Amino acid sequence: MAKTKRYRQKNTFMYIMLAPYLLFLFFFGIVPLIMAFFEIPAKSLTNPNGGFDAFNIVLHDFRFGTAAKHVAGFMAIFVPLMIVFVIGMALMLDMNTAKWKKYLRMAYIVPASVSGAVAVLMWYVILEPTLSPFKWIINLFGVKEATQIWQTQNLVYILAFMAFFAMAGNWILIQYGSLQSISTEILEAARVDGCSAFQLAVRIKLPLIRKYVIYMGVLVFAGGLQIFVEPQLLTTSVYQGIANAWSFDQLSYTLAFTSGDFGGASALSIMLLIPSLLGALVVIYKTDMFEDAKRVRGQKIEAEG
Amino acid sequence: MRQHLKRKYSLLAIAAAAVIGGTMVSPIAAQAAKPSILIWVDAPRLPGAQLYAKIMAPTVNVKVELHAQGDLLAKVQLFNRIKKGWPDVVFGPPNDVAVLRNPIINNAMALDSLLPAATWKAFGNGNNWCKGADGKTYCIKNDLAQSVLWYNTKLFKEFGYTVPTKMSELFAIGADLAKNHPGYSLGALGDQAANSSYFWPSQCPLNAEKSATRVVINSKDPHCTRVTKALQPLIDAKVYDPRSPFDAGFIKDVGQAGKLVANIGPSWYGDFVLRPASSYAVKAGEWTAAPMPIWDGEKVAYSGEYGGGIYTVSPHSKFPKEAVAFAMFMVGDKRNLVTVTNPDGSHGAPTFPAYGPGNALWAAKVNADTFWASSPYPAMAAQANKVFSGEKPVRYDTNGAWGAAFSPALAKDGNIQNALNAYATYISNLAQQLGYEVSTK
Repeated sequence: MAKTKRYRQKNTFMYIMLAPYLLFLFFFGIVPLIMAFFEIPAKSLTNPNGGFDAFNIVLHDFRFGTAAKHVAGFMAIFVPLMIVFVIGMALMLDMNTAKWKKYLRMAYIVPASVSGAVAVLMWYVILEPTLSPFKWIINLFGVKEATQIWQTQNLVYILAFMAFFAMAGNWILIQYGSLQSISTEILEAARVDGCSAFQLAVRIKLPLIRKYVIYMGVLVFAGGLQIFVEPQLLTTSVYQGIANAWSFDQLSYTLAFTSGDFGGASALSIMLLIPSLLGALVVIYKTDMFEDAKRVRGQKIEAEG
Repeated sequence: MRQHLKRKYSLLAIAAAAVIGGTMVSPIAAQAAKPSILIWVDAPRLPGAQLYAKIMAPTVNVKVELHAQGDLLAKVQLFNRIKKGWPDVVFGPPNDVAVLRNPIINNAMALDSLLPAATWKAFGNGNNWCKGADGKTYCIKNDLAQSVLWYNTKLFKEFGYTVPTKMSELFAIGADLAKNHPGYSLGALGDQAANSSYFWPSQCPLNAEKSATRVVINSKDPHCTRVTKALQPLIDAKVYDPRSPFDAGFIKDVGQAGKLVANIGPSWYGDFVLRPASSYAVKAGEWTAAPMPIWDGEKVAYSGEYGGGIYTVSPHSKFPKEAVAFAMFMVGDKRNLVTVTNPDGSHGAPTFPAYGPGNALWAAKVNADTFWASSPYPAMAAQANKVFSGEKPVRYDTNGAWGAAFSPALAKDGNIQNALNAYATYISNLAQQLGYEVSTK
């Protein structure tokens, strides 16, 4: 009986700690979603009769196809590059032979401290042949003018590298952290069995952090799908128009704020939510990401009985 | 259970508090006795607007806010949602008059009854842009951005050129530069430059609105192709640059390197692009402006416009008369046009006033400026009434489309006809989306 009471108290504390999150989720997640849904049938010049035809109109917008192509191209480079490079670097960092580990960790975090908006300016200067501190390298490739680099069709590569350098450092440290959670007994056992460093990394460590890798993949995917700040900054203040409605989020923004089509913008936003939501469901149901928590609670309930 | 209920109630209480907190913030009631207006301007218009607020302080509460022009439409739409917050009068880019008249935006009122007929008459053709198809006037034009031929008198003398009066003569200079003086330039074509300097003066039909529901867009019209045919060999010969005139590389490689020989550009080009030390930094005593060269076979040497801002008044304004009075101060009062001190130490309004009487005041200021080889004012005045009127304000973002479709295509392979076609396709799509029927004739 006494045990049950203590458990209930603990449960209350859990909800209190959860409350701020739930409050924010409600006001800034659920409410906007509902508002967006009711916004869709609003009448606008692009959807003069109103109604849920807005979905269809957005899908047939002349910029939708190119935005899809851009985002798909960007993700095809960015997502695999992130996963392979980050995991590779984290595994290497985890090898005990790394004498410079402390400094290396520092080195990873530095580029990550440059946020997306600042990265745009930094990369603009680096890749602008007249201003670049590395102009001799750029000239080596026969590039003399900014227009040879800064073109709409090159943006998938430029933005992918920009996003990669801004985000890779953080994820390397996070995955390094997840590698630290592997029990030393397992690693010792593997070593005793004659496992090489490479085998240890690929056969033992990698499967053990699989869920974190999937988790990262889903987050990187969702983040990439919603790319907005970098192309928007480029197109409004660096090279006017170079990335106009380049990504889905930008198209949504353009629809709302230059065509006055809030309905279409809402429809597109809700469509964008679907892949991210599916990703989240994969993490929850197809990986054992949240299993530890369940087991712990299960044990407690057993104790209670 | 009790704790569960408590939790529920405390959540409810927080939610309720948030809702009440949100509605408690109500606007302070305006004083009935003294009119008050809210003005939105960009940075170049800020000193004049602030001066106006100071002058009017005893009789009108004037609040001046600096705003980013690109955000206007977004903000107005949000104000439309909450039914308050609209600025009374806004300075913005010229195409905004059509965008704001769009019934779902509805933020530009007809101004005809707010000023005496004599004042409207004094604008001459200067305010034609603001006239809707219904004959009513929906904005007040701050300045004309008519194109003129800016040229370097020193280089002209050195290379033995005379000031061209025909476009073919200008292109002949281009051909000679390519042959005998490689590296020298006639300017950049990116962004709106190619349009305001070449396509628009050549009467190329790109945003020719015929009615509220029909617009003519035809990049293959002979008035367009004569431009692309003339410019293409000179782009290939690097006499014309596919970059934007504001591109950092172009500024450094051409502008500041003293490689610019002549440049068709708007009337504000001199003080905003050629002269500033951070821009092309041309030398004192070398540059001036000439009237536009005429296209062969034409009777009028038309200009295009690159900007040329407007004032619009919100139909939600409680004091439209006071709002219009501000616009008239900006375009017609000596204190703004000539004497106000700008942050860079210069004086007066920076651009060519569209309003006749104001323009006369401003002319004296430009004529007194010793920076130019000779006053560029006569050329500006010659072109003031020659802006080709076939190009109209339209409901879609024409200027943004130059950056979005034309510049990237031009940068890609330097083919200007392809770039123009890309622009035409892009704006045709935009126009159709906003309810226009698009035709080629």
